[in-house]
Amino acid sequence: MNEHDSVIRVNGVVKRYADLCAIDGISFAVQGGETVGLLGPNGAGKTSTMRALAGLSPWDQGQVSVAGLDAATEGRRIRQIMGVVTQHDGLDNELNVTQNLELFGYLAGVSRTAVRRRAREVLEFFSLTGRATDDVDDLSGGMKRRLAIARALMIDPEVIVLDEPTTGLDPHSRAQVWEKLAQLKSAGVTVLMSTHYMDEAAILCDRIAIMDHGRILALAPPHALIERYAGGQVVEIRLDGAERQILRDALRASGVKWRELGALFRVLDGDTDLTALQELAGVRIERRATNLEDVFLRLTGKELDDE
Amino acid sequence: MNEQALRWRSMVGVWRRHAVCLLRTWKVALTWFLIEPAFVLIAMGAGVGRLIDELPGHGSYAEFVTPGMIVGMAMFHALFECAWGCFNRIQQGTMETMLTAPVTLAELAAGEVLWGATRAIISTLAVGGFALMLGWLPISALPGVALIAAIIGLQFGAIGLCFAAASPSLSTLTLVFTVLATPLFFFSGSFFPIEVLPQWLQPLAWLAPLTPGVHLARGFAVGAMDMTHAWSALYLAVLSVGFFPIAVKLLQRRLVK
Ligand SMILES: Nc1ncnc2c1ncn2[C@@H]1O[C@H](COP(=O)(O)OP(=O)(O)OP(=O)(O)O)[C@@H](O)[C@H]1O
Ligand SMILES: [Mg+2]
Repeated sequence: MNEHDSVIRVNGVVKRYADLCAIDGISFAVQGGETVGLLGPNGAGKTSTMRALAGLSPWDQGQVSVAGLDAATEGRRIRQIMGVVTQHDGLDNELNVTQNLELFGYLAGVSRTAVRRRAREVLEFFSLTGRATDDVDDLSGGMKRRLAIARALMIDPEVIVLDEPTTGLDPHSRAQVWEKLAQLKSAGVTVLMSTHYMDEAAILCDRIAIMDHGRILALAPPHALIERYAGGQVVEIRLDGAERQILRDALRASGVKWRELGALFRVLDGDTDLTALQELAGVRIERRATNLEDVFLRLTGKELDDE
Repeated sequence: MNEQALRWRSMVGVWRRHAVCLLRTWKVALTWFLIEPAFVLIAMGAGVGRLIDELPGHGSYAEFVTPGMIVGMAMFHALFECAWGCFNRIQQGTMETMLTAPVTLAELAAGEVLWGATRAIISTLAVGGFALMLGWLPISALPGVALIAAIIGLQFGAIGLCFAAASPSLSTLTLVFTVLATPLFFFSGSFFPIEVLPQWLQPLAWLAPLTPGVHLARGFAVGAMDMTHAWSALYLAVLSVGFFPIAVKLLQRRLVK
C-alpha cells in the first residue's frame, strides 16, 4: 500500500483515562474509498479511536491524521471534510428535523442557499422528506438514526466515521441504513465504522479490525479473517433430550475443547474426531461453515456480547 | 484542543441556532418580552416610586431606577441563557454533538455568549421602550443604555457559561442566581445610590461586577458623565472580556476528555 493513498492514518496511538488504557497502541490506515469496520465488544476502544480521529479528544502517544491533516492540531479542518456520526444521536429536540440539519451546515460556514439545498438533498436521500418539519421527538428510533447520519452529510464529506450506526434498530431499519451506506461507498466516500454486529461488518466492510481492550487483534478482509483464524468448519452440538452433564463427560473423554452457549455446545476445532459422540443418545451434531463470530471467539476468547 | 483563530461564520451558526429556537416559540417569547418590562417598571417606578421623593440630580425615583432595572434585567437574561440553557444542552449532549461539526470549542463558547448579549439587548429594547413611553427614560439615552446592556450581556453570558460548564448538577447551577445574581441586582446601585450604604460596604459595592454597568447606564440616562464613569468604563471593559477565557477552559474540561 502506498502511504499517500491512505486517507486515515493512525500510528501507535495510546490513550489513558487515569489508570485505564482506553487505546493501547493501535495503528492502522484506511485507503481512499475503502470501508473499514472496527468490530469489538463494549469498552474495546472504538469510540475513543473515532473521537481521536475527529480531533475531539486528546491522546497520550502516537499520531493521527486524516487527509494529511494532523488531528491533534487541525481538528476543525478535518471535520470540514469528515462527517462524524456519534454513538448517541445527539439530536437537538428544540429544533425540527430540517433545522437540525441546517444547523450543521451553518456551523460549517456554508451559505444560506447552499444549506437549504443540501438539507433538501440529504432529507431526500434518507427518505425523510415527509418529516422535514416534524419535531425530532416524534421520529422513530430508525428515523432518528438516519437523521443523525444525514446531519453528518451536510458538509458533503469525503470521509465519514460512524459509531455504531445501527445499534438498537430493527432488522428493517438496519437494512435501510446499510443501503445508504453502500450508496455512499459507491460514491467514493471513505468510511470508518464501528459495530457490534458480525453481519453488518461482513456486509459493509472491505476490511475489519477486530478490537479488544484497546488493541487491534487482527485487520483483514472478512473472508481472509475467516480463513486465517476460524478454519473451514465448526461443530455445534445441541441437546436433544440428553443431560448436559452426560455430554460434558463425553466431550471431556474425547479430549476436545468446547464452549457452552446456552443450550448449544460449540467444539472449537472443526477437524476433531467426534465418532465417539455419535453413539450418544439425545444429542444432535451439526457442522457448519465458519463465520466472523468464530474468528472473534478465537481471537478474544469470548463472545461479542460477553461483558 | 488548540486550534486556529475564531471563525466568524461558525460563531454566527451557533448564534443562529438560538435565534431559530426563539422564533419557533415567538408567541410565548413575545408575550414575555412585553409583560416583563411592564411588570418590573410599574412595580418599581409607579409602586415603590410613589413612596419616595425626588432624588437630587436624578429627578423622580422612576427615572433613577429605570437604567438600573434595564441593566439588571440584561444581566438576568444573559445569565439565564448561558447558565441554564447551556447547562441543559451539556446534559443532553447536544453541545458535544455540535463539536462534531467543523467548529472549535472557543467558537461554540463565543456563539453562546453572543447570544447571551443578544438576549440582553432584546430585553433592554423592551424595558427601555416601555420606559420611553412612560417618560422615564429620554430617547437620547437609549443607544448608550443599549450599548451598556450589550456589554453586560457579554460579561454575564461568559459568567453564566462558566457556571454551566463547572456545575456538576442543577442544584449547584442555581447558585449562580441565588448567590451571585440576586445580591448583585440589589447591591449594585440599581435601586438606591451606593452612597447611602454604610461606609465600609461602599468599596465592595463599587467593585461588584454589575455596578459599572449600572453606573454608566445611569450616566447616559442623566446625560452627564464624570471621571467616575471613565473608571467604570475601564472596569467594565476588563470584566466583559475577562471571563471568556475562563469559560472556554471550563467548557473544555467538561466536554473534551
Ligand atoms: N470519559 C471517560 N472517562 C473515563 N474512562 C472512559 C471515558 N470514556 C471512555 N472510557 C473508558 O475507555 C474504554 C474504551 O471506551 P470506548 O467508549 O472507546 O469503548 P467502545 O469500544 O466505544 O465501547 P462501546 O461498544 O460500549 O461503545 C472503556 O473502558 C471506557 O470505560
Ligand atoms: Mg462506543
